Amino acid sequence: MNYYDLFRATLPETVLECAALLVLIIDLAALRNAALKTRATVAAILGVIGCGVALWAASIAPSFSAGHDLLLAAGGSAGVAQCGVLVLTALTLLLLIDTEFTRNPGEYVAVALMSATGGLFISAAQDLLVIFIGLELLSLGLYILTAFAKKSGRSAEAAIKYYLFGGMSAAFLLFGFSYLYGLSESTWLPRVVLGTYFSAARGGWPLLAIALIAIAVGLGFKVAAVPFHLWAPDTYEGAPAPAAAFIASVSKVASFALLISISYVAMHWAESLYAAGYLGPGYVTIKSYPPGTPVPRVTPGIVTAWPFIVMVLSVASMVVGNLAALAQISVRRLLAYSAIAHAGYVLLGLAFFSRTNVSAEAVLFYILTYGLTTIGAFGVVGVVERTSGSDKLDAFLGLHKRNPALAAVLLVLFLSLAGIPPLAGFWAKFNLFSAVLGRSYSFPISSPPTVPLVLVALAIAFSAVSLYYYLQVLKRAYVMPATDESPIRVHPLTMVVIIAIGIAVLVLGVFPGLLQNWIASFYPGF
Amino acid sequence: MISEASSFTPQTIASPLTQLLWLIPALPIAASGIIALLKQPRRKLASTLAIGSLSISLLLSLWAFAHVLAGWANHLAVRETYNFTWIQVGSAYVDLGWILDPLAAVMLVMVSLVGLLIFIYSVGYMAHDENYTRFFCFLSLFAGAMLGVVISNSILLLFMNWELVGLTSYLLIGFWYAKPTAAAAAKKAFITTRFGDVFFFLGMVWLFAQTGTLLFYNYGAGSLEGLALNNLLAQHAAFGITVAGAIGLLIFCGAAGKSGQLPLHVWLPDAMEGPTPVSALIHAATMVAAGVYLIARVYPLMSAGMPLIGHPGVTALNGALAVVTWVGALTAVFAALIAIAQNDIKRILAYSTVSQLGYMMAGLGLGGVAVGMFHLITHAFFKALLFLGAGSVIHGCCDQQDIRRMGGLRADMPLTFATYAIGMLALCGFPLVFSGFWSKDGILEAAHSGAIQGPYYLLVFGALLTAFYMMRQVSYVFFGYWRGHHPAHESPRVMTMPMAVLAFFAIALGVIGTPAWPWFRSFLNGQPAHFDFHGFAEPGLLSLMVMSSFVVLFGLWLGWKIYGNKSPSPEEPDALEKAAPALWCGLRDRLYVDEFYGITVIAFYYWWARVTDFFDRRVWGGVVAAVAWLFQLWARFNNFFDDSWINGGFDKSCEEFSTGGGLLSRVENGRVQIYLRILAAGMVVLVAILFWMVRP
Repeated sequence: MNYYDLFRATLPETVLECAALLVLIIDLAALRNAALKTRATVAAILGVIGCGVALWAASIAPSFSAGHDLLLAAGGSAGVAQCGVLVLTALTLLLLIDTEFTRNPGEYVAVALMSATGGLFISAAQDLLVIFIGLELLSLGLYILTAFAKKSGRSAEAAIKYYLFGGMSAAFLLFGFSYLYGLSESTWLPRVVLGTYFSAARGGWPLLAIALIAIAVGLGFKVAAVPFHLWAPDTYEGAPAPAAAFIASVSKVASFALLISISYVAMHWAESLYAAGYLGPGYVTIKSYPPGTPVPRVTPGIVTAWPFIVMVLSVASMVVGNLAALAQISVRRLLAYSAIAHAGYVLLGLAFFSRTNVSAEAVLFYILTYGLTTIGAFGVVGVVERTSGSDKLDAFLGLHKRNPALAAVLLVLFLSLAGIPPLAGFWAKFNLFSAVLGRSYSFPISSPPTVPLVLVALAIAFSAVSLYYYLQVLKRAYVMPATDESPIRVHPLTMVVIIAIGIAVLVLGVFPGLLQNWIASFYPGF
Repeated sequence: MISEASSFTPQTIASPLTQLLWLIPALPIAASGIIALLKQPRRKLASTLAIGSLSISLLLSLWAFAHVLAGWANHLAVRETYNFTWIQVGSAYVDLGWILDPLAAVMLVMVSLVGLLIFIYSVGYMAHDENYTRFFCFLSLFAGAMLGVVISNSILLLFMNWELVGLTSYLLIGFWYAKPTAAAAAKKAFITTRFGDVFFFLGMVWLFAQTGTLLFYNYGAGSLEGLALNNLLAQHAAFGITVAGAIGLLIFCGAAGKSGQLPLHVWLPDAMEGPTPVSALIHAATMVAAGVYLIARVYPLMSAGMPLIGHPGVTALNGALAVVTWVGALTAVFAALIAIAQNDIKRILAYSTVSQLGYMMAGLGLGGVAVGMFHLITHAFFKALLFLGAGSVIHGCCDQQDIRRMGGLRADMPLTFATYAIGMLALCGFPLVFSGFWSKDGILEAAHSGAIQGPYYLLVFGALLTAFYMMRQVSYVFFGYWRGHHPAHESPRVMTMPMAVLAFFAIALGVIGTPAWPWFRSFLNGQPAHFDFHGFAEPGLLSLMVMSSFVVLFGLWLGWKIYGNKSPSPEEPDALEKAAPALWCGLRDRLYVDEFYGITVIAFYYWWARVTDFFDRRVWGGVVAAVAWLFQLWARFNNFFDDSWINGGFDKSCEEFSTGGGLLSRVENGRVQIYLRILAAGMVVLVAILFWMVRP
């Protein structure tokens, strides 16, 4: 990969960085004395334009052929996730316009755009170092965004917790990466995966296990998987609403895209080796040993350990997320636990990953629709919070009398999160679970073949449980008597964004083919 | 015998018009959505939107019809489809699409034209109703859904629109939901038709499972095309029926529910509780005919394996079509018998509709698509006319519906009388001038040349009864002297004008279906039409026409003899009741079908509901409560663990820090330390699990 190719490949990231700087400059230079509303509007609009241009740049990016020094991938999950990151970033920026938590909207937009740049990098990263730097770029922005409500003590508290937790996780991640590098002598993802097979067979298995678990800690933190989820409720509760929406959507999409890349590479090699006869059922069998080395004939490889770890995280997340959400009285904390539960479902899809595009497409469909839905949900929560000063369940009492459109969108979004047809969330779950069950072979094979079925049944049972807490909110919005019936006024642009998200969730539920075909168009051979 | 010219060359490539065909149903549905958002007082806007959108649909339908006609004139059998994939799950595709062929084109024009006239009529009829806006919202939704049924090329899309039609029917029958009878009738209609729909759904699923496609026509790969049909014929389901026949019968169950065939006809007379325009549009002209249309649409499936389909003389009664024929013929007579003894002006027409739908079914079973569809089209016009006439009478008599309390209205409502008489004569099949004569004659002719003569005699008897009960009704309503309280008055222009238009069609449509110029049949079958008086010279045809004319005239004469100008007082027993009281009571009480259902099906369900209710409350309820309690406990524990325990730990550490005077205690970061401890503990646990579970 020469520098020109690199420039072409990173054009969207460059555009986003330039947009961030432009927003800062304009906000500082031209709008110094303007009203806060104007500054917020200009900054958000500029940010949205930046995202739009980056989207265009991403669409014209050439698909470069694979080489051994490839830092970034193009097409496939990378392309889909990058587009998703850009669109979702634009939506969260639009939610900023009607808020008053900060006096520095320009800085907010700039930091958000830089953070999104990190998201773009990890969506496409194929190299351990790029992954780490992208993750740090993304995370540092998120810490700042969480702390952006400077007058709010809870915002600062949430940020410091998030930061400490994130720093610790990053340390684990880097620790794991360093082990991987030591085992495989490469930082290029496919080479790393391949290298670990052979080093594991030469006795490196315990090191590999430690490395994989350390990486699972780092990435589990990013996607808020149990037991690395503890930051999420506090952060979702304390962060300003647009920042929380950003963390819940953009950061999730990018992190899951990274997990897809890792799973894809792992499965790709696993199946290649399996076809070549190197791989037993879940174990590496090295046929030709280097002479004189005492090697066990079979040893667990990455393809046994990684799906297993992901599976454990997935089950823990589904159980803890859904059950803890039942007891919440704050809607933001409820959304945080619901996010943990959703991460559990997606991790299930990643644990039982297939090398064919089916799994990747199902996971992408899930995280894109989930990101969209959750931005809308935070939009509604933000509006309600501004009016009633609280995000408790009771703040939603009588919402359908106070603002019918807002309540209708909330109904659509929450039912979609619960997976009720004909909304997008239903198809997301349906595709994901059918991808899990539809695999003709099963890694880790050391587990009996009924495991996917049992886990999908568990996931479906828990999504039934989740309906309870979503309906708790909707019951207050629609059924229970209102204490306050004064109408809620919403900034027209915010309303347009929220309603557009509601309509999109509905349309994607009725015509899931629209998104499915779009995702499939990123894969070769479409 | 119709000269069988060679069929036209098929033309299947979708024109731009076909790609826009979805607009025809979409416009009224969109209008309905907009009306739903309007406030109640915006009456003018609501009706304008509904009528405007349906007018555009009518224009588009006419355009589509002209397109098919132009193709036909160029010797092309137009069957254009536009298909697309709706949902893809793995390798399974759910395809939807729409179709433009002569059958769809004819139905499109009929539905949108009759619909538009009835919309206009409703402006007058519903003028005093406070829920005028809601009425047009439902009516518009109905029109859209019905047009959707007509253009569907996918059995799933057809089913969706079919259910939407059923829903709007429910909403409109129960339009005056404050009236308990209307609410009950709405429920009855919905549940009865749903009962048939369950079988329709099963048939659809079976068809999909067998053929792997939901499309009717898809360039040779559709479920109604040769390949799939041969496959369906090759397999046997049970009792010697092929799979094609079994699926056909299941679909026919759905059609029988919607079209009020025996034994699912019970809802249709009750449906007359809805406003009269609704009865005219939904329960006479269009929705109830949807069942007939459905059978016509899946006709290749119903008739698969029969030699020379629809060819008079060689019709072999076998499989699904035999059932269709017999059910139709029995329904025709059964409903006509009941109609004799009814006293509600709309109920008589309702039973007449059931009877005529039986004729259509029999026509489909005996003579093929063209015969049944021709009666469907002519019936749609004259029955809509009759209902609008009845509505006009009801409107003029201050909501009086009992024909024994009317009389002599021909003087008070001349326009209504004139148009009603035309509709009535068309329904009876009065010779030569009226469309009903030709369409009914086509069915009788097909029945006469059939292999079994049973249906033929039933249908002839039905024709006699039809003439009789219509004469009885007209005598009661328009002749004799006025027996009501308030003087009757003629209805406004906006109501009589649509009736005049319908009356014109009730006569004029006969022209396109005479044996001398069987244009309609040729058009549907994709053959050239010739004008040729030798059509009458077919053996037995003239004698059949004379015979059926005689039957009709005899029925009319009999009716006039018994009821003409008699005007008995409302309390006086009917002339026939004096003659045969037992028979009369049986007919008046609708042959006790409702009562029979009451003591069998409904009683059983009451009992079963009690049993399940007991189980639900006592057994399952307890289990669910126990599980819910357990989960609550667990959730509380989780919450306790996540919040309280850690909080507690934090508080404790805070206290320690405070007592220690530590600076950090003022910032709430003690909690994070525990978080981080859990993170590290989680990692250790993971490592332990991994090493324990995955061992070399």
